[in-house]
Amino acid sequence: MTSTTRQSPAQTVLVPRSRRVSRFLLLVAALIAAVVASTWLAVSIGAVPVALPQAWGIVADRVIPGVVPQTWTPVQEQIVWEFRLPRALLALLVGAGLSVVGAVLQALVRNPLADPFLLGVSSGASFGAVLVLILGASALGGLSLSAAAFAGSLLALVLVYMMAQRSGRLTPSRLVLSGVALAYLFQAAYSFVLQLAQSGRAAQQVLFWLMGSLGGARWHVLPLPAVVLAAGVAYLLLQHRPLNALAAGEETAVSLGVNVNRFRLSLFVLTSLLVGVMVATSGAIAFVGLIVPHAARLLVGADHRRVLPVTALLGAVFLQLVDIAARTVNAPQELALSIVTALFGVPFFLWLLRRRSVDRAVSVQ
Amino acid sequence: MRLDLRGVSVALDGTPIVREADLLVDDGEFVGLVGPNGCGKSTLLRSIYRALRPSAGLITVDGDDVHRLPAREAARRTAVVAQETPPDLDFTVAEIVAMGRTPYKSDPRADEQLCARALDRVGLTGAAGRIFATLSGGEKQRVLLARALAQQTRLLLLDEPTSHLDIRHQLELLHLVRELGVATLAVLHDLNQAAAFCDRLYVMNAGRIVAGGPPEQVLTPELISEVYGVRAVRRTQLVFERLKDER
Repeated sequence: MTSTTRQSPAQTVLVPRSRRVSRFLLLVAALIAAVVASTWLAVSIGAVPVALPQAWGIVADRVIPGVVPQTWTPVQEQIVWEFRLPRALLALLVGAGLSVVGAVLQALVRNPLADPFLLGVSSGASFGAVLVLILGASALGGLSLSAAAFAGSLLALVLVYMMAQRSGRLTPSRLVLSGVALAYLFQAAYSFVLQLAQSGRAAQQVLFWLMGSLGGARWHVLPLPAVVLAAGVAYLLLQHRPLNALAAGEETAVSLGVNVNRFRLSLFVLTSLLVGVMVATSGAIAFVGLIVPHAARLLVGADHRRVLPVTALLGAVFLQLVDIAARTVNAPQELALSIVTALFGVPFFLWLLRRRSVDRAVSVQ
Repeated sequence: MRLDLRGVSVALDGTPIVREADLLVDDGEFVGLVGPNGCGKSTLLRSIYRALRPSAGLITVDGDDVHRLPAREAARRTAVVAQETPPDLDFTVAEIVAMGRTPYKSDPRADEQLCARALDRVGLTGAAGRIFATLSGGEKQRVLLARALAQQTRLLLLDEPTSHLDIRHQLELLHLVRELGVATLAVLHDLNQAAAFCDRLYVMNAGRIVAGGPPEQVLTPELISEVYGVRAVRRTQLVFERLKDER
C-alpha cells in the first residue's frame, strides 16, 4: 500500500510539528493580549470616563502602592477599582467558563448544537434566583441570590442525573432529553412564581437577571468562579485525549481504553458545577457557549488540547466586548447580555446550520 | 498473545444474541469469523472489546479476564477496526490516528513518529492533514486501521474491514494485516477471501458457533447450504491476486 494516495489531488501536506506548535502558541499569545486589551478598555469606558493611562495607573497603584504618580480623582479610583475591574474580571471568568462548558458538552453529547443550558442546570439556577427575587431572601432562610441560584442548579443536576441514568450509565440521548424536559419544568415553575408576584418592579428585575447581567460583580463574588474555572480547565486539559476519543464515538472511546461511564459522569458533574457557578453570578447568558467553541475549532481544528485553551480565551474576550457594548450602546441604560450575544450569535448560528456537517450530526442524534 | 472465549453468551436488552460461544485465537494466527447477517458476529466482537458485557462465560486475553482488566490495560492489548465510522467534529486524519495512543502515557515526539509510520503502512501519508469526514469510505477504513496500528497491540479485531474497499484495496489490507503477524480475529463476508486468508475459520449461525477449523474443512457445501441457505458449487473461476510489484 504505497502509491494509493495519488488520486487525492487536494491533499494537504503535513505541516512540521514545530511550526504547528509555534503557530498555536502565537495564537494563544495574541488572545492573551486581546484579553488584557479588552479588559483595560472595559475599566476605562463608562459614564465616568477614565483615560486609559489613568485606568492603568489606578490598578497599578492598588497592586503596588506608590508605583505611579496619582493623576486621578478618588471617585475615579473607586469606580475603577470597586466596580469596573471586578466586573471586567467576572466577564472574563464567565465568558471562559460558559464557552469551555459548551465545548465539553458538544463532545459529550456529540452534537455541535449543544450549549451550556442544554442540561437544565441554568433553568434550575434561574428558578432559585426567581424565588429569592420574588419571595425575598428571608423566605428562603436568608439565602443570597447567587447562593439560591447555585442551590437551584445543584437540584437540577441531581434531578437530571436521576432521570438520565440507568444502572449508573449515562447515555447522551437520555441526558439531553432529561435536561430539556427538566428545563421546561423549571421554566414553568418560575413563570408561575412570576405571575403570582405582585410587584412589577421585582418581575422586571427577574427578567433582566434571567437574560444575563454582570452588574452584581464585586470583589467578593470572584473567588468561587475563579477557583471552579481554574480547577475545571486544568482537569479538562489533563483529560484532552479521552475527550477526543469520546468525541469520536462511544465505542471508539471504549476500545481506546477510556472508562466511558465514569468519564461521562465526571464531565456531567464538572460542567453542571461550572454552569451553576457562572449562572449564579451573572444570570443565563445565551449563545456564548454555543458559538465560541465553534469559532475556536475553526481556528485550531478539533483536537481538545488546542480547542480548550483557545475556547477559554476567546470566550473571555468575547464576553468582555459584549459587556462593553451592553453598557455603552444604550447608556445610561444597560442592555441584558443575552440581547447583545444574540445579535452576534444568531447570524453565526444560522451560518453554522447551513454547513453540511451539522445537518449530518443532528440527523444522527 | 492468545484470545480465548469460553461459553460466552451476550444479550442485548434481554434478547440473547450470542449463545455459549467458544473461540480461540493463538499468537500470530489470522482467524476469520463468518456467518449470515444478524447471526451475532459483530455482537460477539463487541463483547471482546468491552463495548458489551457478556451475560455468561469468560473472555481472556493472555489469561486475563478482559472485563476485569483496567480499561487502559485492555486497550493496550486489543485494538479494533469497527464497522461504523461515526460522524464527528472535524478531526484531521493525523488526529484520528493519534487517538491510538490514548491508552499510553503521552510522549509527543515518539507518538508522532509512530502515527506517521502507521499512516505510511496504510498508504495514506499524504492525507495526514485532511479532514477525516471528507474521506471516501475506503480511505476512512484504512485510517481506522492506522489508528489500530498506532495502538500497538498484539491482538487485532476487525469487523468487516474490507466492506468499503475495492478489490485491490481489499487484498492489500488483508495482506497488510497478515504481514503484521499479530493475532487477528476478523469478521469477513466474502467466503472466498476468508478461505484464502485465514488460518482458521469459525462459522456462526443464529448466535451459535456451528463450526471451526481450517477453511477447507469448515467450508463444506453441506455447511454452507445449512447456514446460508445457498448451494455452493466448486468450479474454476477468475481469481484475484495482488500484483507483487505494482507499477
